[in-house]
Amino acid sequence: MSNRFNKIFLNTTQKTKLVAYFVACYPSYEKSLEIIKKAIDSGISICELGFPTQEASGEGPIIKKAHDHCLEKNITLKDTLKLAKEVRNYNKNVGIILMGYMSNVFKYPIDKFVKELAEVDADGCLIVDAPHELKEENQLRNALTEKNLSLIKLVAPTTTNERLKIISKFFSGWVYSLNFSGVSGSKSADLKQVEQMIKKIRNLTKLPICSGFGIKTPEEAKEVASSGCDGVVVGSSIVEYIEKNANDKNLTQNVGKLIKSFILELNKQ
Amino acid sequence: MSKNNIKNSLKTGSDKDGYFGEYGGIAAGENLMHNLEELKNAFEDAIKDKKFLDEFAYHCKHWIGRPSPIYFAENLTKKIGGAKIYFKQEHLNHTGSHKPTNTLFQVLLAKRMGKKKIICESGAGQHWSAAAATAAKFSLPIIGVMGKIDVERINQNILKAKHYGGKLKVVPGSLREAITAAIKEWSNNPDYYYLIGSTCSSAPFVDIVRYAQSIIGKEMREQFMELEGKLPNEIIACAGAGSNFSGSIHEFLDEPEIKKVVVEAEETAALTNGTKGIMQGMVTKFLQSDDGSKSLGGTSLGAGIMYYGISPQLAHLKDIGAIEASVASDKELLETYKLVAQNEGIGISFEPAAAITEALKRAKGKPKDYIICATCCGRVEKDLDVIEKLIGKDFE
Repeated sequence: MSNRFNKIFLNTTQKTKLVAYFVACYPSYEKSLEIIKKAIDSGISICELGFPTQEASGEGPIIKKAHDHCLEKNITLKDTLKLAKEVRNYNKNVGIILMGYMSNVFKYPIDKFVKELAEVDADGCLIVDAPHELKEENQLRNALTEKNLSLIKLVAPTTTNERLKIISKFFSGWVYSLNFSGVSGSKSADLKQVEQMIKKIRNLTKLPICSGFGIKTPEEAKEVASSGCDGVVVGSSIVEYIEKNANDKNLTQNVGKLIKSFILELNKQ
Repeated sequence: MSKNNIKNSLKTGSDKDGYFGEYGGIAAGENLMHNLEELKNAFEDAIKDKKFLDEFAYHCKHWIGRPSPIYFAENLTKKIGGAKIYFKQEHLNHTGSHKPTNTLFQVLLAKRMGKKKIICESGAGQHWSAAAATAAKFSLPIIGVMGKIDVERINQNILKAKHYGGKLKVVPGSLREAITAAIKEWSNNPDYYYLIGSTCSSAPFVDIVRYAQSIIGKEMREQFMELEGKLPNEIIACAGAGSNFSGSIHEFLDEPEIKKVVVEAEETAALTNGTKGIMQGMVTKFLQSDDGSKSLGGTSLGAGIMYYGISPQLAHLKDIGAIEASVASDKELLETYKLVAQNEGIGISFEPAAAITEALKRAKGKPKDYIICATCCGRVEKDLDVIEKLIGKDFE
């Protein structure tokens, strides 16, 4: 894994880190870059750059809509890598991971994707539909490991203890703990379940754990943070805000304010 | 997965990770992994249980009306001049296609697993009406997901399914969107049983659907031995994702002397024109953009053979030369429909018209003792309005 994740999670000024998901190049390349820069200035620790695909089988309607918008404009994984490079040029400390589906990575193809991911100085990627049973996941994971990059693994509430033990061997960077088994943006997290999940994962790894799915408001973020996770992932609510206010000339400033409101609540713990 | 003593048998199903050669596997989110494993265990357990298999066989016979007969298309054979053309008449099954065999098998499996609700997707609506009928028979609530494009052009299956008590959810798009939406619905409700309609998506779905449908080939063997005293030289069937074709040929996979030909819609011929990729839960051949972000392909009259991917098992079998692939155009589908209706008095749907188109081409000039069997997997009702609109005048 990259040292950057170590540094991010060892930093104690902010107890629970904010991981923010953006649909890369949405609503446009330039606007997206501007928004992400603002989000970094507003205090996010890691940014997830979602690369667009028609698949998006794990995404709810909010994120799916943004993906479709990007596809119509022929945005590709290549554009997302370019965006990642500009984000990195802007800030050397923020964690950057690319998030998406195996289809695009496989076609890139895998080795070229990993090489370019290293070149733009991103920290890794998260592939929704790539369990360790998939041979192509092994190929990707090995290539990433060679470049000191992380394949962020997901754990779901439906993951059995037996399976969790197996997956824990492949953890790298940090662990993405899903708060419910469903698509993104569909329901709210249940604190008791989140706590149990974090505890279960904590028993198996020393790596940081970030909790995601179902965190829609700063208050919900704070509540989930009280479960003892090291970071919270906010996705759909940011994307939804951008979707609803795409034409607002103050969009960037306002996304900054939205991010700050999450940080403010997280710091209240 | 079936017991087999032949070395390098092609009938053993997928490997432990769900692959057929380099195709197949599980490309699903972590939140579905438990469901898939539970399903795999339940399936493997069920097919060892004689009582379960007897129950399946009983309902196959009395509810679906199996075995579906083979039929010697004597007039067409004479007209074409060559090989003997046979139809395996899957359209005579209850609900009018090969689909209820799969829905019956899986609904019985769902019941065995203690599932209380069923969700499924559909393209042509054949799977939806079969699934809804089966769910009604076994008193399980069912939700179907279909693309708006398909819903608008096929209404008979949708009406039937409604009468059987199925609740339909319409999503923008076609079969691709329906599958994605149904999988999402399943992710949100892991206690549902996901009743997939064809040999696609993540393992173990491909093995399950193929297992259920392989009854088609088993019946063919018995029927041909009884009627002709020998097996057909060629077996031809159409494919969207491939359940009808897989079911027709599985029995004969270790008999290379029998030619197996799959026919796809010209506009969505993933086996012929696709490239390897990972979408919709599986590694297989897809018609897709170079960067893998979009699916490609046009529309075919045969809604049930309009799919931009293909069964991973069929992608593998094609690579190793165990099957051949061909395509049929809309024009051919219409011509073949007309030929079959006028010469044999059988109203077939557009999908099997693809298989019969290929059968007619191949029969021409062949020796008279050469046998070609085309699986006829659907009846015309769902396509009547379209046919009447397009070529109704030809029959006046």
